[in-house]
Amino acid sequence: MIPSAFDFYAPRTLDEAIALLAEHGDEAKVLAGGQSLIPAMRFRLAAPAVLVDINGIGGLDGLRETNGHLAIGALTREAALEEYTFIRERYPLLADAAHVIADPLVRNRATVGGNLAHADPANDHPAVMLAYGAELAAHGPRGARTIPIDDFFTGMFSTSLEPDELLTEIRIPRPGPGSGGAYLKVERKVGDYAISAVAVQLTMDGPTIRTIRIALTNVSPTPIRAEEAERILTGQTLTDATLEAAGQAAAAACDPSADLRGSIEYKRDLTRVLVKRAVRRAAERATK
Amino acid sequence: MEPLIGAPVARPDALAKVTGAARYPGDLDRPGTLHLKVVFAGRPHARIVGLDVTAAEAVPGVVAVLTAADVPHNAYGLVEADQPVLCGDVVRFVGDRVALVAAESQAAAEAGARLVRVVYDDLPVVSDPRAALEPGAPLVHAGRASNLVAHVPIRKGDAAAALAAADVVLEGEFRTSWQEHAFLQPEAGLAYIDEQGRVVVETAGQWLHEDRRQIAEVLGLPEEQVVVRYVAIGGAFGGREDLSVQHLLALAAWRLRRPVKIVWEREESMVGHHKRHPVQIRCTWGATRAGKIVAVRAEALADGGAYASTSQEVLKCIALFASGCYDVDHIHVDAYAVYTNNVPAGAFRGFGAPQAQFASESMVTRLAHALGMDPVAIRRINLYREGSIEPTQHPLPPGVSVRECLEACVERLAQELGGQENEAARRGPGDGERIPVPPALSWPPGHPIAAAHGPQPTALKRGWGIACGIKNLGYSFGFPEQATASVALHGGATIEHAELRIGAADVGQGVHLILRQIVAETLGVPLDVVRIIADDSAEAPNAGSASASRLTIMAGRAAHDAAAAALRLWREEEERPARATVQYCPPATTPLDPLTTAGRPNYAYGYAAQAVEVEVDTATGQVRVLRVISAHDVGRAVNRQQLEGQIEGGVAQALGYTLMEQFQMRDGRVLTPGFSTYLLPTILDTPPEIIPVVLELADPEGPYGARGVAELPLVPFAPAVAAAIHAATGVWVSDLPFTPERVLDAIAHFRQPRSRASEAGASGSVPPAAHTM
Ligand SMILES: Cc1cc2nc3c(=O)[nH]c(=O)nc-3n(C[C@H](O)[C@H](O)[C@H](O)COP(=O)(O)OP(=O)(O)OC[C@H]3O[C@@H](n4cnc5c(N)ncnc54)[C@H](O)[C@@H]3O)c2cc1C
Repeated sequence: MIPSAFDFYAPRTLDEAIALLAEHGDEAKVLAGGQSLIPAMRFRLAAPAVLVDINGIGGLDGLRETNGHLAIGALTREAALEEYTFIRERYPLLADAAHVIADPLVRNRATVGGNLAHADPANDHPAVMLAYGAELAAHGPRGARTIPIDDFFTGMFSTSLEPDELLTEIRIPRPGPGSGGAYLKVERKVGDYAISAVAVQLTMDGPTIRTIRIALTNVSPTPIRAEEAERILTGQTLTDATLEAAGQAAAAACDPSADLRGSIEYKRDLTRVLVKRAVRRAAERATK
Repeated sequence: MEPLIGAPVARPDALAKVTGAARYPGDLDRPGTLHLKVVFAGRPHARIVGLDVTAAEAVPGVVAVLTAADVPHNAYGLVEADQPVLCGDVVRFVGDRVALVAAESQAAAEAGARLVRVVYDDLPVVSDPRAALEPGAPLVHAGRASNLVAHVPIRKGDAAAALAAADVVLEGEFRTSWQEHAFLQPEAGLAYIDEQGRVVVETAGQWLHEDRRQIAEVLGLPEEQVVVRYVAIGGAFGGREDLSVQHLLALAAWRLRRPVKIVWEREESMVGHHKRHPVQIRCTWGATRAGKIVAVRAEALADGGAYASTSQEVLKCIALFASGCYDVDHIHVDAYAVYTNNVPAGAFRGFGAPQAQFASESMVTRLAHALGMDPVAIRRINLYREGSIEPTQHPLPPGVSVRECLEACVERLAQELGGQENEAARRGPGDGERIPVPPALSWPPGHPIAAAHGPQPTALKRGWGIACGIKNLGYSFGFPEQATASVALHGGATIEHAELRIGAADVGQGVHLILRQIVAETLGVPLDVVRIIADDSAEAPNAGSASASRLTIMAGRAAHDAAAAALRLWREEEERPARATVQYCPPATTPLDPLTTAGRPNYAYGYAAQAVEVEVDTATGQVRVLRVISAHDVGRAVNRQQLEGQIEGGVAQALGYTLMEQFQMRDGRVLTPGFSTYLLPTILDTPPEIIPVVLELADPEGPYGARGVAELPLVPFAPAVAAAIHAATGVWVSDLPFTPERVLDAIAHFRQPRSRASEAGASGSVPPAAHTM
């Protein structure tokens, strides 16, 4: 289907964009890579009267690593994440995810910021950023603020961003010594959304898990953390029994719906298996 | 001159297709063309109690709204005219067409279509084929005695007695799913009235002359008044065998006396055209201890959907191939096709053979396991050979080469397995020598006996599976079969140009190039001397459809014979151009005798064997196909590059069918109307290695010995994957497609209290790196 009619703006600066958003309020939608928004408009699930295209704004993309964190510009394309060896080396969780998001064509356009702002529980970055404990920078008419990722997702397709706010940067705390991460996703074919996927970021103290964050993709109405599983594993060594207990805790914590991707039971069981595997892989990477 | 037969000549249409210069039906336009929009039923079964088009007609730009009352002869169909062009009283599936809006713009046509008001009285929906056969089931076509479209029995020998006497008897139950053709280019076209007052339809299809026949019948016109032309065709796979938009275009142009065009959206295409039949097969196979298959009993139930389409013909193939390509003395088959309120099912590459042989090939491997034999050995005992008696009690047509395909496949497999094979396998078989069966097949590693060797270290398990396949080439069961070609040779002392006229559709398979190669070779002229006129029903004679893997063998033979006849005239007579028209008719086939079920169903078959390696993640159920060996007897590879393209494309389509393509309906409604819900494999899902093995054992009928290949890669693939999954895991999957959840269901019983046995690799002392996704 062809989307319904809309006005189109292509601001050159952040301030212009924010002004446009402030002016049009709920009527307006930000256009980043367009890989979620355009399909939604074509299916008439979204019919914004105004599109504010942020692709022409300089400085919103790119990666920067400081002492404290990795900063990812909101407009950074997924394909860019796959290009850097330092991402593969120091941010394996992010690298894993970048490789399984959509397909290479979509990744050329789709942006990290869009993936988060869209707040689709099927998207992969929300769980990744939950596992990293990332912080999001937003700009609006009232200035800049940061939002901890744990406070970002407020419901299916909804976030704590105001309609006149732009997500500008994602900040991932720089993993310290003994850190490791992994993202495991089961999809029906390359380019499909997850049946279930699991993000794990942890730090090891010798054989013991010192800290761990686990988050789940597409098995709940919003991206969620598997907190009970985290609790079970914290301070423990990796044994079959603790892993199984954590896997089962995550399976119990999720709230999947039955759809063409699979039954509720299958999604839960898959989550259990993926939690066990992802924790193992993350731990292995940490001790390397 | 270099021989043209066998040369990998590049496709002349390739550049235009990849640059976008080629003209597809959706690209056509003429001044003053009206846009058409179909009003679909959108409900599976209902009586039309009111139809009001006034609001639609009032939309600015809307020129007319056509309904059933505007159709001169409101029934059409390839085999049986049971489908209304526009429904007047009852709609029988969601994609039934109720009205056709013609407007000056696309937007106006769409606005008009939204305002056509149809008042429906919903009728009870029958969406399960077994329920459709129960007494008292709602009738899809009122006035018929039942929902049965056709019943095809096959009787040979005494299956009951043979099963009672067999040493091993196995039962099986299999289910296949609808498959969507998913050609790149959805249905589209343009129609107008030409200066001679003829209706011209420019579109895509698979058979110019059959489209013309049906359109003429719908309009009540003599066939000469209708011209069908094909432009570039973006794939077909059987999905353009039935009319979709062609007759709607003709109707609107004829009624409105203006050019009209239509382009279906993907969703309209997916709901609007037929699918591959879902089939439920229950069967019983019996064998002697020595591995001789003695009896096959099978019942197949095919969901034909709302209209007959080609159900009757597909059903005959299902019945004939229920016993696969095996020499079995006692056969008892009943195949049924039924009407339901689902999307109609009809032709799709393979035409019933993939469904039937998913069951038969799986059963043969299961018999082997039950007998403690390897799956190749049991095939060597039972496969068809020259002179074998078909299920229909007559000898097979000559050129039976399935054994050669199997041996070639096994030989290639032995090479793939490297060090595991012995010397004979490496150097190839000597005279009368047999390639030893690779150990990977002799005892499936997951088999209970092999499992006694202890648990494998990771959750990822690999296995190879093998299967054979047979498919008729050309029309069957007495359906009139012919192809006609004309060749005109122009020039003085030498042939300066040759014109081949032949109504054969190039649906993307490259047959136009094949035909030119054959004619150029026959005439002894360079390829570019030969021009082809193939896309106009008024300019090219009828060569039959692009289906049943038949154009290379049928149209190729007609083109060859016409070229040879024209060349004779060129040499013997003065007249220029030298012209010859030849109709080639292959050996006759017959319908089955209603009492004895005996007959000669086909004049030629294609054969294949495939070996497939999979990796199964036994904790998630994911199946990855790693390597495919696809061995085919093609008689003669006219164009090697195109041949390998057919094999690779066929394997990719088969992979989709086997692992992910699952067109789903619930209560007559489509759940998968787009490519985000109906999954197609992309290049990233396609096995990294597809190894074609090509045998050239000349066919007695084919031009230069060539025979068809197009459908064959689809036939053995699913059962080969099923066997490979079994080899890897020890479990059989028997419902297509093998989605991760279904595979896991077979392995792990994760719905019940969990048994941990299957997850050895997901825990324990295994290095995590082994769990590669
Ligand atoms: C075929 C296909 C397969 C896909 N598969 C996957 C997959 O497997 N996993 C996955 O994670 N994703 C998948 N996607 C989604 C893809 O990654 C999307 O691109 C992504 O979800 C959104 O990013 P975008 O830049 O395209 O955002 P857009 O589509 O442009 O925008 C999405 C939403 O976010 C808002 N938005 C965008 N940027 C900002 C910003 N800076 N500030 C505030 N709001 C903003 C927009 O207003 C809109 O509401 C798939 C998409 C396609 C088409």
